[in-house]
Amino acid sequence: MRAVYLGNYFIAGCIAFSLLGWVASLHPIAFRAVLCLLAAIACAWGLSWLLDFSLSKLLKISVADLQALLISGLAMLLIGLGVFLCS
Amino acid sequence: MQLKLFVLSASSFVLWLAPLTALDKTLDIHKALQGVSLGAAIACAVTAGNIARFQAEQNEIEEIKTRAITADVVDEIATSAYISQQQRQQEAEQILNPREHLERSLALTYGEDEESEPIVQKQLAEPEQNAESERAERALQLRAKGWGKAKIILEVWGVSKGGSPKYKAAEAEYKRLTEGG
Repeated sequence: MRAVYLGNYFIAGCIAFSLLGWVASLHPIAFRAVLCLLAAIACAWGLSWLLDFSLSKLLKISVADLQALLISGLAMLLIGLGVFLCS
Repeated sequence: MQLKLFVLSASSFVLWLAPLTALDKTLDIHKALQGVSLGAAIACAVTAGNIARFQAEQNEIEEIKTRAITADVVDEIATSAYISQQQRQQEAEQILNPREHLERSLALTYGEDEESEPIVQKQLAEPEQNAESERAERALQLRAKGWGKAKIILEVWGVSKGGSPKYKAAEAEYKRLTEGG
């Protein structure tokens, strides 16, 4: 059951990134805004990798869990935007 | 609950992929439908995730309960096994050590003797009570005949009148017996 709820949250993340792609396709300004948002997400993602130990203490989770979250976030972004762009 | 979870998961998947692949992005109405279906898909996926998480927590609680019950049962069995082993060991020691067994038996016998002492005292006290009742009966008979106190005491107790302690004791007993009767 744990795998089911993690899988559902993963699917929700993928759909959220597809929705972000859909928003970007609405208007050029929206596209730029989404690009800015993606850039911010990329910065945060990279910083999280660099500060994983201190961030894990701050969030009170293990370093392995934090790294799994970051990897799954990247996978969600790639799958969500990939599905939107390829469809 | 399981069916709801399955339906929500499947619908989120379908609402995510079907509009993106089937609808045309150049048409405004199709684009709007895609947006709506993506929003609905997110809602379905999050709801399904929450339900699954609730179920997982319930399962964990049930597992903890089962483990606790199993541990209690194992502990109870171990305790009863330990007690029965101790009893068997004591029985074996009693069989293997007859001297101790004899000592315990003797101790019990002494205990019974101690308890029987009042019975012996009672048995010893009974003749005295019989003699006292005989004296009372005799004294009452003599008094009914019109005998005087000093003469009755002399006849029954064998003590002549005077200030001696024997006479005083006999007089006190005479009073107690005649007044009590």
